[in-house]
Parts: sequence; C-alpha cells; structure tokens
Amino acid sequence: MKKKRTQLFALGNEAVVEGALLAGCTFFAGYPITPSSEIMEVMAQRLPMEEDSVFIQMEDEIASMGAIIGASLAGRKVMTATSGPGFSLMQELIGYGCMVEAPMVIVNVMRGGPSTGLPTSPAQGDVQMARWGTHGDHPIIVLSASTVQQCLDMTITAFNFAEKYRTPVILLLDEVTAHTRERFELPFAEEYEVFSRITPSVPPEWFHPFQDSLRGVPPMPPLGAGYRVHVTGLTHDEMGFPTQRPEEIEEAISRLFRKIDQFYPDIMMVEEYKTEDAEVAVIAYGSVARSAHHAVDRAREEGVKAGLLELKTLFPFPRPQVVKLARRCKCLLVPEMNMGQMSREVKRVNNGITRVRTINRVDGRIITPTQILKNLTQI
Amino acid sequence: MSLYQDVIISGFGGQGVMLIGKLLGYSAIGQGLNVTYMPVYGPEMRGGTANCTIVISDDDIGSPIIHSPVSLIIMNRPSLDKFQPRLQDGGVQVLNSSQIDPDLAEKDRVKTVSVPADELSNEILGSARLANMAALGAYIQATQVMPLETVIKGLEKAVPAHYANMIPKNTQALQAGYDAAEKA
Repeated sequence: MKKKRTQLFALGNEAVVEGALLAGCTFFAGYPITPSSEIMEVMAQRLPMEEDSVFIQMEDEIASMGAIIGASLAGRKVMTATSGPGFSLMQELIGYGCMVEAPMVIVNVMRGGPSTGLPTSPAQGDVQMARWGTHGDHPIIVLSASTVQQCLDMTITAFNFAEKYRTPVILLLDEVTAHTRERFELPFAEEYEVFSRITPSVPPEWFHPFQDSLRGVPPMPPLGAGYRVHVTGLTHDEMGFPTQRPEEIEEAISRLFRKIDQFYPDIMMVEEYKTEDAEVAVIAYGSVARSAHHAVDRAREEGVKAGLLELKTLFPFPRPQVVKLARRCKCLLVPEMNMGQMSREVKRVNNGITRVRTINRVDGRIITPTQILKNLTQI
Repeated sequence: MSLYQDVIISGFGGQGVMLIGKLLGYSAIGQGLNVTYMPVYGPEMRGGTANCTIVISDDDIGSPIIHSPVSLIIMNRPSLDKFQPRLQDGGVQVLNSSQIDPDLAEKDRVKTVSVPADELSNEILGSARLANMAALGAYIQATQVMPLETVIKGLEKAVPAHYANMIPKNTQALQAGYDAAEKA
C-alpha cells in the first residue's frame, strides 16, 4: 500500500517552521513582529520539544542576529524571522555573517513600509534591501515562495544553500503568503535532501579555517571541537586573522564571490508555466506569482498566449532564464507590490531585447488576477 | 464536473469571522478538497473590520485572492456596503439580519438568505458569541457546498483545545442556523 503523506492545514509561517525542522534547525533566536510572529510562536512551542534544541526570545533583532551567528559557528543550523523594521536592524550583522561565512537562514515576511508602515498589509518593498542592505560588496542568496507548500520547500532549500555555501540565506515572504492558510503535505524523508556543512577531515594542527579550495567553501568545524578558529569581521587571511596585504584581501573577497558565482545553475530556481509558446510573459514572485498564475489561465481562455516565469530565487538574479524568455516574447510584464524593484533587474538583463511593462501597487492591497489580466489583454 | 466555491466572510473583529473561515477550511479538507484561507485584518484585535477569503476546489487553486466572489457571509452593515457590489450576478449571500436590514440586499441580482444570527446565538448561549456559527450553518444550507456533519466534525480541529467544551454549543448554533436558512 502506498503511504500517505501527512496533510496539514496551516499558515505559510507555520510551513516555514515545519520546513526548518525537517532541514535540521536546532536553534532559533528572534524578536516577534507582525506578520512574521507565528514563525516565532510555533518555534517556541516546537523547538523545546525537539532533542537538543534551543529557542530564545532576544531583546531585539540585532541581538537575534548575534545569537544565531554565534550558534551557527558553534555548529548548529540556525534561523531567525522578522519583518521590515526588524530586518533593517539586522543588516549590519548580515554582513558579518557573510564575512565570517556563517550558514544561517533569515526569514523576512515583508509588510508595507517604509518604517512601521502597514503591519498587517502585504508589500514587496524589501527586495533590493535583501540584496544590498548590508554594507560592503558581498554576495548573498535571496529566495521567495508563493504558496504554503513552497514555504516549506523553500525553507528546506534555504537551509541547504546556507550549509552548502556557508552563507546567510534570506527567505523573502510577503504578508499574504505568510498568512494564507492552505492545505500542504509534509514530504517523506526520502523525498527531500538535507545538506549539512562539511567539517574538516584534517587533524587540527593542519587546519586553515579559511583556506581556498576548488569549491571555494572551506570546511567548518564547530567551535570547541579542537580546531583553532579565529573569527573576525575584519578582512582576514586563511588563518582567520586580520590582514592588510592586498593579495590576501583580493583572494579572500574574490573567494566569497566565487563560492556562489560558480554554482549559479544550482542556485537560480525558477518555475515556468505555459511559457513554451507564450507571446507575453509575466515575471513574478511571492503572492503576486499566484495571482499571475490565475491571470495566465484566464488570458489563455481569452485567446492571449500568456505565460508565467515565477522567480523562486530572487538573487542571484536568474538572468539566463529571463533573457531566454525576453528573446521569445513581445512583452514582459512585471507586477510587484513596490515601485519597481525586481523590474529594475528585468530591465537590466533585458537590455532592450523586448518591451518590459510593470504593474506597481503600494496601497497595501494585493495585485489581483483581474488587474494582471487587464494588462495582459491590453498588450 | 469540477467543484469550485469561493466565499468572503466579513464582519467586525470579535464576531468570529476568522474562526468560521478556518472551520470551513478544515471541513473542506475533511472532504479531501483543496483549500486556501486568506485573512485580512487591521492592527486592532477587536472592533475593527476583518474579513477572510476561502477558496475550495477539487483542483489546484490558482489564486487565494478573489475580487468578485460567488458567495458571501456578511455579519455587519459596513461589510455589506463593501462586498455586496462585488458579489457575482446570481451569487449567494448570507446576511446576519440581526445587524443588517434585509431590504438592503440586491434582490433581483443575487440570492440572499437572511438569518437573525445574533438572536439565534442569544437563544443558545445568552450572548451573540455564536452568531458566526449560526451564519455558517445558514451558509451550508444555502450553498450545500458540503454536508453539515462534515462541518460539525471540523469543529474538533478548528476550535482551540481549551475551548473544546464549547463544541456542543457550537454544534447547536450551526444546526440552528441551518434550520433557520431552510425556513427563510
């Protein structure tokens, strides 16, 4: 008999927690904020019941980031969750996380901004901030999800990327995805892959904590395991100590980029829907992708050859997929709940190949299928 | 023939619109259907307006967000003003006639079922706290989207454990609403 998957009826936020636990998260530190609070609430219930797991409510988001970086260095899989205002506070330590190469997952459930903005309304205003929010030149992985099932899947993916590439990974949700309650299924253990960071195989005295290699991702021992690791936000040499020597700086920073750059095909995730023969294509992410999905179906009923490219990875921006689509379509439509943050990227890589139109909505309401459909039929 | 039903449930915060939305969702899952439930509320806990959208289908659900629904459950006057114009022609709405004048319904355009939900609840509990369940009972009768028994079973999942002792009263209110709609 075929085993049946466990079915749940839960919020996107709760699916994030399920995903994190499946991926092996054993440490969560955070400070609650609407619309991400349920992640923390459910973590507070679930983590203490898991073996050897820690949940801490911190005094603020800065401390939350500090706590998860520390726990990550100590060998744990870690996560925090927040929304816009908290995400602003986290920025400095996200850069620190990039520099010391601490694997971690930061969930940002986007709400209307700037500042306190609209706590209970959706927006997608933190997209470029997720990419460029922390100072200094740095690579980062930013993912998104549009359905509750995807919240679970992408959280597992976020942990895997964090561990595989030793980098902070930001999962950007929006209020609609996070607060939609929907049926979803827990995958069987054999249906998903869980990746854990590689630990050193050499004896402690031979170990260089930030040594370059083919993959560019150095093995990472948990602190206290006998390996000497010096951790600093200053630019460091391969032993982890601050350096001012141009050749060492160059090597260190370019390795940070290379370890992600060279795995672009693995990292850039998109989902295509009816794009094979599409004449107009919608490029969307988050809850808007869902509206777009519906709009594409209805446009097809009206005889418009429409398609959808859903971005599951926002950064590194899935350039090859977008360019391929731009070459085939007479117009790309980019609907988003901001004044045009992802459409900038689309226009950049499109570089004049085809027309790019945008739908921008910042009134705290979602972009509806009808609104997208109207634009699709006008093109 | 595929099954598709969407509904916007709207009322004041505290009237329990989110709870009956959740209950409808759990019940539909009990029927093996796909469901999305999308709440909309303000920063306030009580007194503000709140609504939620539920989409039920035996197919994949495209969008959890519906602008023009095929059905409504309306618990108060502001909700009627907001959502009735959006209801599709020939759609069904359940009105809480304890708070809304049934004459406000667009009778020639949509089917309206008016039930005095607050009063029905008052008879059972002595307060209007079960008005939401009465309205949902009426909705089930009006749309026949699923058997009432399924909804009653769904209560076990939708009602938090510390209110489990309220399930019999909730069941009673569901039934009262169902019967009232039959007569309406």
